[in-house]
Amino acid sequence: MLPIVGYTNKLTAEPGETVDVMVSSFGAKTYSADLRQIIQGDTNPEGPGYKDHLITLDLGGTRTAISKPFNPGSCVIVPGLGALPAIQDFTLAAVVRPTLLDGRRRSIVALPGLAEIAIDGDGHLTGQAGDIALVSSVKLSTKHWHVVSLSYDARKELLSLAIARDRDEASTPPRAHIVSTKALLAARVPSECIIAATRGADGELTAFLDGKVDRPALFDTCLEPDTIRTLLTDFALLRRQRSLLAAWDFSRRMTSRTICDISPFQMHGHIHNAPARAMTGWLWKGQELDWKLRPDLYSAIHFHSTDMYDAGWDVDFSLTIPNDLKSGVYAVRLVPDGDEDSAYFCVFAVRPPRDRPSGNTVAFLFPTCSYMAYANHRLGMDVPGTEIGMGRAVELDRHHMFLQNNPGIGFSVYETHDDESGVFHTSRLRPIVDMQPKVKSFLGGFGSNIWQFNADTHILGWLDAIGQDHDVITDEDMHADGLTLLQCYNVVITGTHPEYYTRNMIEALQGFTDRGGRLMYLGGNGFYWVVSFNEDMPGIMECRRSEAGIRPWEPGHGQFYHGFTGEYGGLWRRNDHPPNHLCGVGMTSQGFDVSEPYVLSDNATDPRAAFIFDGISGPGIGNFGLAGGGAAGLEVDRADPAQGTPDHALVLASSVRHTDIYLMTPEDLLDPTPDWSGTQADIIRADLTFFETEGGGAVFSTGSIAWAGAMAWNNYDNEVARMTHNVLRRFNEETPFDFPGGQGW
Amino acid sequence: MARYQITEEDLAYAQEFMETPIGYHSPGLQRVLNRMRGADWTRRYVLVIEERYRLWRLAQLPVGRGAQVEIIEGVVYTDLVEAERDIFRRRWKDLTGQDLDTALPQTT
Repeated sequence: MLPIVGYTNKLTAEPGETVDVMVSSFGAKTYSADLRQIIQGDTNPEGPGYKDHLITLDLGGTRTAISKPFNPGSCVIVPGLGALPAIQDFTLAAVVRPTLLDGRRRSIVALPGLAEIAIDGDGHLTGQAGDIALVSSVKLSTKHWHVVSLSYDARKELLSLAIARDRDEASTPPRAHIVSTKALLAARVPSECIIAATRGADGELTAFLDGKVDRPALFDTCLEPDTIRTLLTDFALLRRQRSLLAAWDFSRRMTSRTICDISPFQMHGHIHNAPARAMTGWLWKGQELDWKLRPDLYSAIHFHSTDMYDAGWDVDFSLTIPNDLKSGVYAVRLVPDGDEDSAYFCVFAVRPPRDRPSGNTVAFLFPTCSYMAYANHRLGMDVPGTEIGMGRAVELDRHHMFLQNNPGIGFSVYETHDDESGVFHTSRLRPIVDMQPKVKSFLGGFGSNIWQFNADTHILGWLDAIGQDHDVITDEDMHADGLTLLQCYNVVITGTHPEYYTRNMIEALQGFTDRGGRLMYLGGNGFYWVVSFNEDMPGIMECRRSEAGIRPWEPGHGQFYHGFTGEYGGLWRRNDHPPNHLCGVGMTSQGFDVSEPYVLSDNATDPRAAFIFDGISGPGIGNFGLAGGGAAGLEVDRADPAQGTPDHALVLASSVRHTDIYLMTPEDLLDPTPDWSGTQADIIRADLTFFETEGGGAVFSTGSIAWAGAMAWNNYDNEVARMTHNVLRRFNEETPFDFPGGQGW
Repeated sequence: MARYQITEEDLAYAQEFMETPIGYHSPGLQRVLNRMRGADWTRRYVLVIEERYRLWRLAQLPVGRGAQVEIIEGVVYTDLVEAERDIFRRRWKDLTGQDLDTALPQTT
């Protein structure tokens, strides 16, 4: 297990910048910390060997390790209700559709100290006011919306709980079921309103709802259920009601944390732990699929008891990045109780300073978006098919055991929530236990079986081995600074699997190659999914897997547009930025068992590519490697003019077979027939591709995640590493590449 | 539920697996493996890493997020390929009631 874990408040920092470190004990009594530059993280005895450098920087001595919990669960919190006059008569109402009823008590809307509408462990609607509790005979359904209300009439001394289920298939109007009891309640002033949770006796949030809530409202009078229904269907009518104390319209400011009260009191609130906004609401019947065009139909929030944005741990210590520290990948290493074997690595990048040139002309693009997408992923634990895809048994490393014991850490965008809806959000403001050196994974192929960050250290290790000075810049840096940052470099080198891209990022990288930049895409399945950041919530990222792509879930009907930005979610190839256009190749298949060599094509003798093959002869290359025993594998890309591969691109070599675990991607498998597998279909291959750009730039793409594992073979002394170095050497020269056919060809 | 049921007619594929546990498989063996590795289990065999690249313990992972991983005491492997063969034998027994080593006496 992991006796200690932690995280930093940022994944990129420049010299002089302060980084906060949050640490929690999961068994450790004490810990010490040091700063390490991570060079090569693979500990496979057949690999080049683990390597890091200790940085001389005093991070303090031994500290007491304090246990800090994970507190998942999303809700809305509206503070400041104390400004209202004391409430005597009232109606508390909402429209709700639970998505998971599993025996746990769930709160729908709560005014702690005054009233609450909830779902009990049996699925019945309950109402609580003062010491009086009501239980409806009606159970809620995960298939329907329900208008629920709790009303108190002081004159009649009557507390009533009502529920009306909308049944689209029924030909009769919804009918409210009402349960009432005599009650003598004192007028009270609630301090806050909580939607989709409440507070326990300890004051902590509890009873999180898995489900959607729409248009919760509070009135200072007792209303009949039919009246409530009429008012809730019409916000314009609702907001003019003199009895209205608050009505929260979730369709307003959906891209932010803010929850808007449309009543004149304007008691606005905020979301907690980033539930999904811009979700189809009570009145959505398929009228529109883009929330930007009919936001009023997207007035629901989908809450989950498993949502997690910011772990919110107290800062244990901070460090200031030394001004002379060179750009690179670093980690605050936490050593519990003197046990170095159990050390935890909080990995981050030190980017070059913003105010002065580093002098480096090569940048490694540290793919933080893809690390975040996979952050704490549980594919080998939660998805039975993973073993089929791996072609062998799942290995559980220590961090996997930690994840299994601590699901509250929050998920990656590969998981589903407990209600089986997809996880749209992933955050870096929590420990990311699989973003460490040394750790094994599920999908890295027979051999080292490492993935994402640790697999990318094969490239970092290679840069170290060839003595190549370089900067490390992150996805977040590129998203924020765009071409302003990239223009400093002759060459940008990607990681092994840069799969997740924001629009800023993909446009910056396209602009870079268009203007003469050189891109070395040393991976597979890159530039595939659209992701978005949120301007109001730093550190979180959204991904809605719409329409196609190999994906563990779909966003749900009518919910294909991102809540953070309004962008259409899914594949970049459906958003006019196919990866083939940027790098010549695009995702075609995956399998996580064994990899293959490439076989050179006639294009390999093209004089344009002569520099690539200096010292390399065919006909095959890369019949070795730490990722499945070959250079082509795991996730592989093909050149395809129909998807944007430039006409002049040279496919230099291709893999010519894969196992039948490799199948066709859904976006290309329009008519499923049983011949779309690795031993049968030529389309399932990795294409080693090169092309020049009109602006004097060039692109070299391997189309294979396994490429870097082959680079690292035999301590970086092999034909794959040599070819990569050949490319880097020429790409780093200032001399523009000639565009075949000349300008305007 | 998986439709395919493993029978004695699949013994040739078991033999094929024992010879090459990882890599290229015939369509018939792949179908057997899909049945063995698919979703129709309340507990799946997994390998818990004791020492990376050196030592693994056999365990079962119950369905359900957060379920306790159940270590099978006394079963350790120092070679992943041998681990695959052992897991295959166990699943064969689970699915057919048959001891694979008895059915395939030539395997060791």
